Amino acid sequence: MRIVILAPSLYSETACAMAAHLAHSGYVPAGAIALPTLDSNTLRRKLGQWGAGRVFGYARGKLLARENAKASVANPYLTSFLRYESGSFRSLREVGQHYDFPIAIRRDQNDDRSIALLSEWSPDLIVFTGGNILRQPVLDVPRLGVLNVHLGFLPEVRGMSAPEWSLLKNVPLGITIHYMDAGIDTGPVLKRFELPNAQGYTSLVDLHNRLVAFGVEKIAEVVRALAFGLISAKQQSQVDRDNQFFVMHELLQRRAAACLSRHHPPAIPEVARG
Amino acid sequence: MTDLSIEQPATVGDRAKDSLRSQRTLPNGDIQDLTPSKLARGLREAGALVRAPHRVLPLIHKLASDMLHLTFARPHLYSYSTTKRSSGEALDRLLRWIYKAERPDGGIAAYYSLLSGYSRSYPEVTGYIIPTLYEYAKTAGDRRAVHIAERTTQWLLSVQTREGAFPAGLHGSEARPSVFNTGQILHGLVRAYRESHDLQILNSAIAAGDWLIGMQQADGSWSGLGAYQGTTHTYYSMVAWALAPLSNLVDDRDTRENYGAAAERNIDWVLPHFRPDGWIDGINLRGHPTYLHFIAYALQGVLECGVLRGRSDAIDAVKKPAWVLLRRFETTKFLPGAFEGDFKTGHRFTCLTGNAQMSCVWLRLYEVTGDLRFLSAALKMNEMLKELLTVRGGKGIAGGVSGSFPIWGPYQPMRYISWGCKFFADALLLEQRIAGSLPALESEALPCAS
Repeated sequence: MRIVILAPSLYSETACAMAAHLAHSGYVPAGAIALPTLDSNTLRRKLGQWGAGRVFGYARGKLLARENAKASVANPYLTSFLRYESGSFRSLREVGQHYDFPIAIRRDQNDDRSIALLSEWSPDLIVFTGGNILRQPVLDVPRLGVLNVHLGFLPEVRGMSAPEWSLLKNVPLGITIHYMDAGIDTGPVLKRFELPNAQGYTSLVDLHNRLVAFGVEKIAEVVRALAFGLISAKQQSQVDRDNQFFVMHELLQRRAAACLSRHHPPAIPEVARG
Repeated sequence: MTDLSIEQPATVGDRAKDSLRSQRTLPNGDIQDLTPSKLARGLREAGALVRAPHRVLPLIHKLASDMLHLTFARPHLYSYSTTKRSSGEALDRLLRWIYKAERPDGGIAAYYSLLSGYSRSYPEVTGYIIPTLYEYAKTAGDRRAVHIAERTTQWLLSVQTREGAFPAGLHGSEARPSVFNTGQILHGLVRAYRESHDLQILNSAIAAGDWLIGMQQADGSWSGLGAYQGTTHTYYSMVAWALAPLSNLVDDRDTRENYGAAAERNIDWVLPHFRPDGWIDGINLRGHPTYLHFIAYALQGVLECGVLRGRSDAIDAVKKPAWVLLRRFETTKFLPGAFEGDFKTGHRFTCLTGNAQMSCVWLRLYEVTGDLRFLSAALKMNEMLKELLTVRGGKGIAGGVSGSFPIWGPYQPMRYISWGCKFFADALLLEQRIAGSLPALESEALPCAS
């Protein structure tokens, strides 16, 4: 099974953990394409998204973290995936060097250079860990498709802030691994996994971190099942263009956080779990 | 604002028309070219600047401020505008702007122009600002709002025609009776009567209601004499909304039913104009693009009339366009200020009044349907509007809501408009009411329709 990773940056912990875990599970990526970490577009986007203060704080945190390997993992649940003999992976380049696969930096995951490189690597699967909204030419490259880990159950909670909306909608907390298509989280579902011990999280950040790590853990399981032909994708039922969620306003996020301790969703029938 | 009957000056908005058009090829060039009369109006307004040079600095300041904001604002899919300005603080500023817009005759000015200062009193806005004043007084305990509401009501009674109608345009500019303005003023009269129980106000409201029914066509629309450009408009659902509550103020059962039936007749006429893709036909602003302000009027009128008359078909019809606009706002963090025949088009300025109205529509849809996505979008819209609220400046500027953002956009260019303040205040008042009721829901999962 030839796999390529698409990453939002070289220093994305999720991308590093995903690549390392797949490699450790016997699926060494054929390559990875990352967006540039610090270019003018990213900087302007982040300034617009976060404001100058938060951007400065983030950059300072990253720089300090590099000097202190122990503090380098922002998501503590990813620590075990990032660990190797002599330390902890801090960039995709380190994972690539360790497992001997190439890393390329591209300004746009949809541009011709990216598509040419992807075609050259001829992947069976692309694992998407973040970056641009993928266009059809990229989606068409891999033999099987582009995998995404969605931090909520599909089709119930499509779109953004999925854990928070799950809490307010009383939908089980979990992840969905699915093929991407041109819509937002509308592609065929491979498997849904409910998060065990979903009551034990004290904050939305904590829950989000756990879901990300849960996705890393389960992606290798799905890739293996695909390699052995044990699962097939199912088209989503109830795919409705109007059934989409967006970034939740802070006021509602606080309500969602308050729901964390008393989240008792109804059981989902086994059949529906994909 | 009604009917675009307040003259809009030709300014940068016209000159930059091409650059403000949609990236898509627009189906027709509905916007008229720079006509000599428009140019003359623009020159006249610009000429006022020469007579009042103290306005030059505020003008430059606002132009620079909007330019900077446009340059550095980077809307992003995963983010939304936030501001440290509280809703209460923004509301106080808006109301202070409205207080200062009261003219010596007792009416409220239509706008404050950065070029020519305050306009004359504008009966239409003076009327429908009354519910906002009473609502604010109730929330903030500010008696000044009540006093102004009482003064403006008295002024309105003085400009009503013997037939019960109210005139179009700025005070003193036109004697032509206007269906839309009469309906808008009726909103204020109904509220003023509820607060004061003054029979003179009730009689005035009934006269207005009766005149509206007399002007209504058999199919439920309003056209001909009294209608803007003599033709029908779907945004006259605001008139239907004004008629619906009048039925609750009248004792006589038959008369009461007349108002409700007239309101429903109009809604029955409007609803077939709602397309399956969400677009609303029949806004009919000849010579103008379809401004968001008027789309939002159509939605507000149908929604509120639907709620008051128990018409689920009306409420359901509003959901689709409201959702299409919500998705546009959520994905681009921006609602175009005008469209050209469908929601896929869009001009590159935003109409702040239309944005505030959409916030009201979403908040009310949350109240009616329980769908939290409407609430989340409205809260984000209010954040964005709070951020764009002008806080510094003299009378007419501080606390003002500009017609367009950037201020040189084609909708009421270079002006702070009173109905912008009114609708944004309404949105914040609704937000406060809803936010106040949310803690009670914490004990159980909040309802969220899918």
